[in-house]
Amino acid sequence: MRLKSNSYTNGRLWGWNPPLKSSYDAVIIGGGLHGLATAYFLARQQKMSNVAVIEKRYIGFGGSGRNTAIVRANQRTQENIPLYKEALDMWPVLTRELDFNLMFYNCGNLNLAHSEAALKAMRLQVASAQFQGVQSHLLDPKGCKKLIPALDISDRPRYPIYGGMYHPPGGIVRHDAVVWGLAKGAAKLGIHIHQGTEVTGIGVRNKKIVSVQTDKGKIYTPRVLNAAGGYSAALSYEMLGIKLPISVLTIQAMVTQPLKPLLHHVVSSGAYHCYANQTLKGEIATGSHMDPWPNYTNQSTARYIKHQAEAMTELLPCLRGVKFMRIWGGLADMTPDMAPVIDGNNIITGYYMDCGWGYFGFKSCLVTGKYMAKFMADGICPGILKPFALRRFEQHRLMGETAAVVNYSPDN
Amino acid sequence: MAFTIVCPVCGIRRSYEFRFGGEDKGPRPEEDTLTPATWCEYVHLNNCVAGIQKEWWFHRDGCGSWFTIYRDTTINQQVENSIDETNP
Repeated sequence: MRLKSNSYTNGRLWGWNPPLKSSYDAVIIGGGLHGLATAYFLARQQKMSNVAVIEKRYIGFGGSGRNTAIVRANQRTQENIPLYKEALDMWPVLTRELDFNLMFYNCGNLNLAHSEAALKAMRLQVASAQFQGVQSHLLDPKGCKKLIPALDISDRPRYPIYGGMYHPPGGIVRHDAVVWGLAKGAAKLGIHIHQGTEVTGIGVRNKKIVSVQTDKGKIYTPRVLNAAGGYSAALSYEMLGIKLPISVLTIQAMVTQPLKPLLHHVVSSGAYHCYANQTLKGEIATGSHMDPWPNYTNQSTARYIKHQAEAMTELLPCLRGVKFMRIWGGLADMTPDMAPVIDGNNIITGYYMDCGWGYFGFKSCLVTGKYMAKFMADGICPGILKPFALRRFEQHRLMGETAAVVNYSPDN
Repeated sequence: MAFTIVCPVCGIRRSYEFRFGGEDKGPRPEEDTLTPATWCEYVHLNNCVAGIQKEWWFHRDGCGSWFTIYRDTTINQQVENSIDETNP
């Protein structure tokens, strides 16, 4: 919140810079994928185009441009799977609708198991996915090797491969293309995207949203969406006093030098905590675990370069000697149960939240935007979003999105 | 980003030796008047301050002490206390 906003926006910003009006029907805080998708669907499906997206830096600055671009629908719980399934089905539809190539490549995701216990957890996950009509099945080590010949399925690695869970419809999408596609699509429908504009306060009267204060002027509005990603919890507490069950952790990712095609699927491993895919340029893009203390820096650490090199060469020994070219970090707003907080129009009338996505925000952006837009237009939460209410934490109804004891939040 | 923490017993050590123990939320709530909302606030809800916050740390790979420090979350460095605790 204290970072200077203007240092990022001195250069050329994307697109047309509309004038800031003194009132809008809705104000969306955050020009990331969730904010832009909601704006797009507000205009396209709810016929609300008098909407502003307020972005402190530039669109896609945060997690939207820093993720590893992986999409999939094989979540664990009955509440989450339908949402992610619809999200996955939307990529080809939006590519046509936006007339913008989002470079969706449904190469399939292979998730590796390195113990009997992990395989057991995968059996449940596969069964849940199949029950909800999502393609997913188990593979033995030979089956994994058939998909990715470079995998080492011998007993040489410290944690040998016991099998894997293959999810054919998943894959990768070009994340920047989604940012640009949605921003162009939204702007064409009349949405105002204000980059380099910082929200400094939210006006509430009689428990109703009345305005949003920005560094460029005051906006009167009856609806506000908090879609500020990594900054959403701080914003919620600082401006409205609403605390969220979120810890903000830095997550790092990196790419190697470009190589000839060797990895034709997304491969991931919970035990080694890495996930990787080969980009169109041939780089192996791979992501790692989070630094286990909340902070707002995007800085990277030597620790994770080493960790990632060790993990990747255990799984794919042919990568030994390959160099990492770039590393970067982004903020992940982690909740204790790895499921988002989607709520609104209750604590404060007209205040909506789309927070706590952790590192699942990329694959879920389109579907959440679609239903969030409906939520904001009607004021009534659509059924598919209802399980993600903030109240679940005080009702002790946390979701089972983690397979076993995984220490995603820094407190446990 | 890695940084250093001053442990009250071991002195200045690198942060990877420690485990973060959460924001300082004051004493554990009394159980006889406990409501689900108060418990939820104590267990799950965070301020997520972008700036200086008081927080718990555990010297996991060291002496095993639990202690609090002040850290600026925007630069990820331990700092002297500048929060007026008499008037929070």
